[in-house]
Amino acid sequence: MAYDRKQAGHKVAQANRPDYRLEVGRAEVPVGEPRVFRVLDAARGATLQAWVATLIPADRGRPDAAALGAAEYIDATVSEVPSLRPALLNALEMVERIARTKSHRTFGDCTPDERERLLREFQRDGDPDAFQMISDFTYEAYYGHPEVLGALEARTGWRGLGPMKGGPMKPFDPSLLARVKSMSPRWRKLSTEREIRA
Amino acid sequence: MNDDPSADVLVIGSGASGAAICKRLSDHGARVVCLEQGDWVDRARLPKAHVDWEVRGRRHWAANPNVRRWPSDYPVGSEGDDPIDIYMYNAVGGSQIGFAGNYWRFAPSDFRVKTLDGVGVDWPLTYEELAPYYTINEAEVGVAGLAGDPCGPERDPLPNPPAPLGRPGELLVEAYEKLGWYWWPTEQSITTQAYRGRPACDNRGWCTFGCPQGSLSTADLAYWPSALKNGVDLRTNARVREITLGPDGRAAGARYYDRNGVIQEARAAVVVVACGGLGTPRLLKMSASPAHPDGMANSSGLVGKNLMVHVQSFAVGLFEEPVDGWRGTWGGTVSTRQFYETDPERGYARGFIMSGCPGWSPLNLALQIAPWGSGHHAAFDERINHEISMYMCGEDLPEESNRVDLDWEHLDGFGLPGLRTHHALNENSRRLGKDMIAHGRQVLEAAGAKSVRDFGLAPIWGWHLLGTARMGDDPQTSVTDAFNRAHDVPNLFIADSSSMPTSGGVNPSSTIQALALRCADHIWDRRRDWSSAE
Repeated sequence: MAYDRKQAGHKVAQANRPDYRLEVGRAEVPVGEPRVFRVLDAARGATLQAWVATLIPADRGRPDAAALGAAEYIDATVSEVPSLRPALLNALEMVERIARTKSHRTFGDCTPDERERLLREFQRDGDPDAFQMISDFTYEAYYGHPEVLGALEARTGWRGLGPMKGGPMKPFDPSLLARVKSMSPRWRKLSTEREIRA
Repeated sequence: MNDDPSADVLVIGSGASGAAICKRLSDHGARVVCLEQGDWVDRARLPKAHVDWEVRGRRHWAANPNVRRWPSDYPVGSEGDDPIDIYMYNAVGGSQIGFAGNYWRFAPSDFRVKTLDGVGVDWPLTYEELAPYYTINEAEVGVAGLAGDPCGPERDPLPNPPAPLGRPGELLVEAYEKLGWYWWPTEQSITTQAYRGRPACDNRGWCTFGCPQGSLSTADLAYWPSALKNGVDLRTNARVREITLGPDGRAAGARYYDRNGVIQEARAAVVVVACGGLGTPRLLKMSASPAHPDGMANSSGLVGKNLMVHVQSFAVGLFEEPVDGWRGTWGGTVSTRQFYETDPERGYARGFIMSGCPGWSPLNLALQIAPWGSGHHAAFDERINHEISMYMCGEDLPEESNRVDLDWEHLDGFGLPGLRTHHALNENSRRLGKDMIAHGRQVLEAAGAKSVRDFGLAPIWGWHLLGTARMGDDPQTSVTDAFNRAHDVPNLFIADSSSMPTSGGVNPSSTIQALALRCADHIWDRRRDWSSAE
């Protein structure tokens, strides 16, 4: 709402262009609820968990995205919007194929550095839009999660749960306006009858 | 098809303007029916009622109807060199469902753009004619602010005190003082103290994601409870298909699909269209008939043309110190009109405002600046709670080529056409935008920012959709007269953002609602004319 959706590479949502940015409006998936995979089988679920943990790894007292259920959140989203399933399934297949070719093991068995390298290759040469979809959904699952919002406060001072509670603030002090109040009028007076009633 | 009992006035649309008209007319004693294609929003479902509010704002509550796709929505395409990212809601309260609350009066010069600056068109009324209705409206919604602003004529004290500045506002005040520029606490449509049964704002911030406690003065809260108490018959889930004409050529009412999808007809002595800058031209064009082959009230050919959206951007400063950006009203607590009036030396006509806001909330910030992978948290932590945003809004001059057309290839859930918008910034807007962003950066640097980023001018935010059925004195160059009455249909009024001939350089809600109240009084004052014509 309002400033939402404005980001690098943002496309205006169109009625006539198939786009996960459009389709996702039909998927109201609360963040942080316990979930099991509904669309992905165990192997693909594991690949996606390794993927989201690579996108947002654990650091600075915050868990990785997989630990917070980001993969299950993505699965729940495509469960509600079947038209998004092909892009997700194909992406998982492609990344596993790249991992087997380049690293000779499953994506989940690769080291974090290898996984990051493989995903960058997929982002560049594979399916950039599918990558962006998984990335966007992962960020949603992470930054909508109460555990992350709570952890932010200790590290950054940002009270992640503050917008839910509010609190008192210092009232506006009108004495700050002393200089501005002494300024001459800053609007154009319509001095002639022609201007007033043109 | 039911044969409805007649009402005095039929209002189509229950948003900012429709709500104000219904309340005002029913205060006077008129019998009013209002048709709203959407429903009441469930306030318990508002994004801000939930911890994952940012996510909810991107999905079910997304501002773009092509994403959200509520049953009340219709498809809206975006075309042209600078396509618009559409922002609108179809519900009781209209697009104020996603409202920031900035609530400016226009300046007197905004009504005389052509005469003073040689661009755009003049309004068929003056600031002084509208001023009493600004005052009435400010009392109705409980505006927060401070009288004495040297950027406008003298006025009465406002109903509520300004919102707290917060640390972002304090830093910006210091910058304005250092620069010697004008500034003022932003007027906001927020009850900063308990007002008419609504609670005082408790500074939760991020107002556009909904205000569960009800301090943000959206039309569903500020106007509808009183209107309903007055007896207004608000029919929700009522999708109007067409305005109907009587044998005398006057508007007879409207046909609509009810919540069960069954066609109904509502009749009234007067019909008011208040569907917003997109919905109004859509309905007028859908109401084409042999008497109005290009759409109702469209003998000028201007229905759907001159779409304006404002030139808008953000500059964002990065500060060494934490700025407590997690709290306080989001729409900007301190603003400047330093560059609002035309200055020929700047190389463009008209001007802009700047309004200082907290930085960005976690998800939106992460999507903007935090790369995925091993560098993610460091990039995020550098900026969260260390940024201040400067919202900038400038005048977008009317151009006939900026327009909306019916889109019969993309239909709504009732088989009615969607819309296509076409928009390109003109050269004046580009120059204004460039200068606006430069000045936004300047303020943030003066406030102590160690670096500043900005959003440029694309995509075009469709937060303010204006001008598509503009008012004027000449029926050949406007759709309605100065009281919002259609030139072509004497008992048809078009009273919403579409009637604005120019955009001004400020958020338009205050002006839209003041115009609506003035239109309502005009209808009431001439009630004998409407009765005799029935």
